[in-house]
Amino acid sequence: MSDDGGLWLLLLGPAGATGLYWALYRYYRNTDKSHDFEHETAVEAKPVTGSDRKVDEVRGTQETRIDGDNVRAYRKRVTRIRRNSS
Amino acid sequence: MSNSASPPPVPPYTGPGSPQDVPPPPGSFPIDPASLPPPIRDELLAPDPVAIDTSAAELKDGLNRCPKCGATDIKQKPGSDLLICLYCRNEWHAQRVEEEFGLGEGLDQLEGTVIASGARDIAADAASVMTFKCTGCGAEVTVNTENAMTARCHWCRHVFGVNEQVANGAVPDAVLPFHIKKDDAVARIRQFVDKRRMFALKAFKEQFTPENVIGVYLPYMIVDGKASADVSGHGEILTRTYTQGSGDKKKTYYDADVYQVERHVDFTVDDLPLESSSERGNLDTGTNTNNIINTILPFDTKNAVKWNASYLSGFSSEKRDSGVEQLRPRLENQLLSIARAQVEASTSRYDRGVRWEQEGLSVHGTRWVSMYLPVWLYSYHQPGSNGGMLHYIAVNGRTGETMGSVPVQQWKLLLAALTVGSVLETIALMIVGNT
Ligand SMILES: [Zn+2]
Ligand SMILES: [Zn+2]
Repeated sequence: MSDDGGLWLLLLGPAGATGLYWALYRYYRNTDKSHDFEHETAVEAKPVTGSDRKVDEVRGTQETRIDGDNVRAYRKRVTRIRRNSS
Repeated sequence: MSNSASPPPVPPYTGPGSPQDVPPPPGSFPIDPASLPPPIRDELLAPDPVAIDTSAAELKDGLNRCPKCGATDIKQKPGSDLLICLYCRNEWHAQRVEEEFGLGEGLDQLEGTVIASGARDIAADAASVMTFKCTGCGAEVTVNTENAMTARCHWCRHVFGVNEQVANGAVPDAVLPFHIKKDDAVARIRQFVDKRRMFALKAFKEQFTPENVIGVYLPYMIVDGKASADVSGHGEILTRTYTQGSGDKKKTYYDADVYQVERHVDFTVDDLPLESSSERGNLDTGTNTNNIINTILPFDTKNAVKWNASYLSGFSSEKRDSGVEQLRPRLENQLLSIARAQVEASTSRYDRGVRWEQEGLSVHGTRWVSMYLPVWLYSYHQPGSNGGMLHYIAVNGRTGETMGSVPVQQWKLLLAALTVGSVLETIALMIVGNT
């Protein structure tokens, strides 16, 4: 049991109900679907280049992932650096 | 169970190109179906409509008059890319644009913006109704290019097609003929809906008539591109995991090294399809279900043939209203997403993830071809506020890939969720009560 004596278990009902509601809603309405162009387009890429430089250390965090992890959220745009496009 | 008295809020729509999240893999369901009551489980586990792969036969010359007898009563032979003369039953192929225009070649040498003639800007004053003088009997025949590209003379039955690329952008460069026949589309739509009956809106089930599906040619821009992208941000690598405290106060802590991460990738894309009707390109799932039609992409666009209105005989069509400049932001958006997907594998050592903070794109060259793509569309209008919602079930006219939006009976779905939630809650109460 965790530190709250297992009271978190009481969330099981509401969480289960909400989770099932949304899962079934999406199954019927498919609002989360779109063309997966990132993987279904014929892309030919040259080898990826780049650099990795250690800049800091994190000590004693309880988070399991980096804050703002977006490595798989390809469609979440971040600050755009404008360059000359021909 | 007090939090579920009303439906949970709809997740917000987030910006252009919605659904903004990378879609879940096909066939995935966030909850293990085995844990659900048998009727729901059975519905979820029933097989999906199968998409088939098509490969076109070799295609040669195509004319709008029958090359053998000169008749104009020409149709596409169902299920193939052949044209057939209804007068003398002669059959023949049209020319593939891939070879004709050299598409798919020289992607790595693309420079600037290359626009095929049918992808030119649409003239603002272009009329949608075009009139032809029948050479057979002299009567006037009109074709409304908003929704059709062919018409028949009522008097002598000559068939007219808009085959000239009038400079109004209404006529595409190429067309990808239907392969999936209507019977097949009806069967796929029926199968799709059969898997979603339990919580479907009662009126929808009562009025469900997949035979009313219509074949529509929808306008797309098929884009090739050469680009470079840079992304930068921070990544973390786990160095130590430890726990402090004991018993109920035990907590897990992590140490990590933080890296500045930079990535660069040069790439080309071949045949990226973009909706070139602004209405179809609007994927705001809060107001429409166009994302359903978007989901059945891609098409085997390599098999598209040179524009020939005879392929459109018997089908409906929609007109393009977006040009290259209107679509450029969406193209750049998608190129950035593709670049981000490309660099993902190079960040695998960052086991605590990467936070990209900046991204940049250089588009070196693009090539745009305007194309009609074949879609079977079944639609159902759900009445409601703000004009209700038009639900589509769409079948890719080439691969058979099927996707749809089935309106739900809200109270039934809530009841099922509450019931399953109550069972879980009872179990939870028993466990908590016993400790
Ligand atoms: Zn003939
Ligand atoms: Zn006539």
